[in-house]
Amino acid sequence: MSSSEIDILKRALAREKAARKQAEKILEQKSAELYSLTQELQSSNLKLETLIDEKTSELNGVFENIVDAYVVTDLLGNVLKMNDSAIDVLEADLKEEPINLMEIAHPDEYKKIIEKFKELIQNGAVTDLHIKIVTKSNTIKLTHINCSIIYDAAGNPKAAQGIVRDITESKKDQEKLIESENRLSTLILNLENAVLLEDEQRKIVLTNNRFCDFFEIPLSPEQMIGFDCSDAANNAKHLFTAPVAFITRVDEILDKKEMVVGDELLMVNGKILERDFIPIIENGIYQGHLWSYKDVTLNRSYRKSLESQKQKYSSIIANMNLGLVEVDHEDRILMVNNSFCKMSGYEEETLIGNKAANVFLVDENSKVFKTENNNRLKGQSSSYEIEVYNKNKEKRHWLISGAPNYDLKGNLIGSIGIHLDITGLKNLELQKELLLSQLERSNDELHEYAHIVSHDLKSPLRSIYALVNWIKEDNLDKYDAASLKNMSLIEETLEKMEQLIGDVLDYSSLNSTHKDYRRINCDELVKDLIKIIYVPEHISIDVKETLPKINGDSTKINQLFQNLLSNAIKFIDKEKGLIEVSYEDLDTHYLFKIKDNGMGIAPGFHDKIFKIFHALNKNKDSTGIGLSIVKKIVDLHDGKIWLESEVDQGTTFFFTIKK
Amino acid sequence: MKARNLNILLIEDDAIEVMKMQRVLSGIEQDHTIIEANNGEDALSILKKKDRLPDLILLDLNMPKINGIEFLSILKKDERLKFIPTVILTTSNNQRDLLACYYIGIAGYVLKPLKYEDYVEKITRLMSYWSMNELFIA
Repeated sequence: MSSSEIDILKRALAREKAARKQAEKILEQKSAELYSLTQELQSSNLKLETLIDEKTSELNGVFENIVDAYVVTDLLGNVLKMNDSAIDVLEADLKEEPINLMEIAHPDEYKKIIEKFKELIQNGAVTDLHIKIVTKSNTIKLTHINCSIIYDAAGNPKAAQGIVRDITESKKDQEKLIESENRLSTLILNLENAVLLEDEQRKIVLTNNRFCDFFEIPLSPEQMIGFDCSDAANNAKHLFTAPVAFITRVDEILDKKEMVVGDELLMVNGKILERDFIPIIENGIYQGHLWSYKDVTLNRSYRKSLESQKQKYSSIIANMNLGLVEVDHEDRILMVNNSFCKMSGYEEETLIGNKAANVFLVDENSKVFKTENNNRLKGQSSSYEIEVYNKNKEKRHWLISGAPNYDLKGNLIGSIGIHLDITGLKNLELQKELLLSQLERSNDELHEYAHIVSHDLKSPLRSIYALVNWIKEDNLDKYDAASLKNMSLIEETLEKMEQLIGDVLDYSSLNSTHKDYRRINCDELVKDLIKIIYVPEHISIDVKETLPKINGDSTKINQLFQNLLSNAIKFIDKEKGLIEVSYEDLDTHYLFKIKDNGMGIAPGFHDKIFKIFHALNKNKDSTGIGLSIVKKIVDLHDGKIWLESEVDQGTTFFFTIKK
Repeated sequence: MKARNLNILLIEDDAIEVMKMQRVLSGIEQDHTIIEANNGEDALSILKKKDRLPDLILLDLNMPKINGIEFLSILKKDERLKFIPTVILTTSNNQRDLLACYYIGIAGYVLKPLKYEDYVEKITRLMSYWSMNELFIA
């Protein structure tokens, strides 16, 4: 071996040594680097793990506290996990029992669920699924479900998760909303008013049947939507009686864009429309406007006829002769008419606002007035007379017809009185009463007077009679037959005088007082009478039928029959006298007949006979007053008396007596 | 019962009527006494003495001053005098007078007839009635 070789070897060894040293040094360096790298990795791993932990718990929290129900199931629908909301919605708790979603689903939904489940597994998710469920409390709920599939690391489906919302209520609300929208649109469509809604471009948004009718548009409201109305006014102007004014007004309204209510439009076809304009402004921005038209033709004509009626009645009220006063609850005068002012003497201005009672009433009448006012408050009407003072403080009598006054709603607001001045009438009435009482008094006086006179006349007759009698008695043997005959004649004359005085007294005592009237049985009366009066043998009185009952003064009726029967008896000159009494029933009266077969009365005397002191035959028994009394009694009983007679054949007296 | 002699107060303003009464009474059996009064006042003053009250009063209604009915009222108000039977003697057949008299209280009402014979008849009967009657002695 050579040195060189050695050297070479030596140098090769040295190089090798240096290379190793170098390699060791690099290795050392590398392992240090590796170490620090490992350290870094470790720390970042740690960080990651914490992060994952954080996220997982975060998600758990979200699921558990999520407002909507969250459910995790296996692929057969068995619930694996659920949150509190899910317990509420499904009304089932996994902690208490195992749950399978198919058991909760409404039987109607099975088919749909199976289809959707397939879809879910295929596509990995299903959204907006509406399923009806039946809960334990037997309520049917409509649920909205979004669900997805959970896959394992290998990408195989492992489970399903879903969010379930109870939309039963919101569904109902929605339906209601749609319903009310439908209703509204039907309403608008059939509204009495014509409606036209335009947007800010004057395009039609909405209109209705009425509008098409009014403006004679041969389209349906739906077809009108979107139409441009810029030229509409011009097209419609011919429908109105004042076309130019119509257009001017529409332009003016559209220009101002302010609300207009109650524009009146006269149409050529006679209709009267009332137009409203309502601009629609949202947040200060003009969005369009609404035209509304109302047919007020009928209203207007009603109003017109109402006004003419009112005119008519106002003029009646103003010009009628009756005073009219309207007062409120407190009796304050609200309205008076001209006649009332004239009646009372006051000016209208003086009366209005004053209490009627204070102005007019005489103190003693305020009670009457109060009662009447109370009646009014009770809603009663009535008429009454009252004494009042007019402006000149003269007493007047008014007849007041008062009625309660109501407002349109039927509330009592006071009363209306119609006043008639009856002072004239009242005075007449008072005068009449005065006259009547005077008449009664003078009748009374006359009656007394007649009695006194008759007494005063009769007394001397008695004295003369007694004196004549005494002279006759004392001189029976001294007087000759002629003187005694004359004495008898004096006595007869005295008797006749007595009779006359009696008859005059009877006649003057026949006063008309109905207070003594009562029911009289004429049959009994006449039969009793026949027993009492003197009926000669040769005369018979025949009462043909049962006489009726009448109303009257029995003394007078008695005298009536007595006078007529006596009269008949007196003038019978036949060998066999016959008197017949009969009657007839007339409507309001009874007609009595007393027929005799006496000497009869000549026609010229038929009327005269009833006049006082008209005795036809001046004999001892006749004073000529008997038939006058008869006539007076018949008159007093609202009857008539007349006779039929033939000389030598007999007489029939007819008289009627009111039933 | 034996008929008594009566003490009669006749209140009558007509002289001939008084004469008639006296003539009738003198013709009958009993010896009745007549005290005459021409009017109500006289009669009252006679009655006021009360030494001897009449058994019967015959009263005409139509008299001057106090009339018959007024007199009757005064009489019937007196505690003692009211017991004297009073018979009205009048020509008046006025129903009102009759009722007024009965209301106040009378023992009879005689209408004077026209004929003197009738008068004698009536008064005779009246006297025989009252003389037989057991009178209250006032």
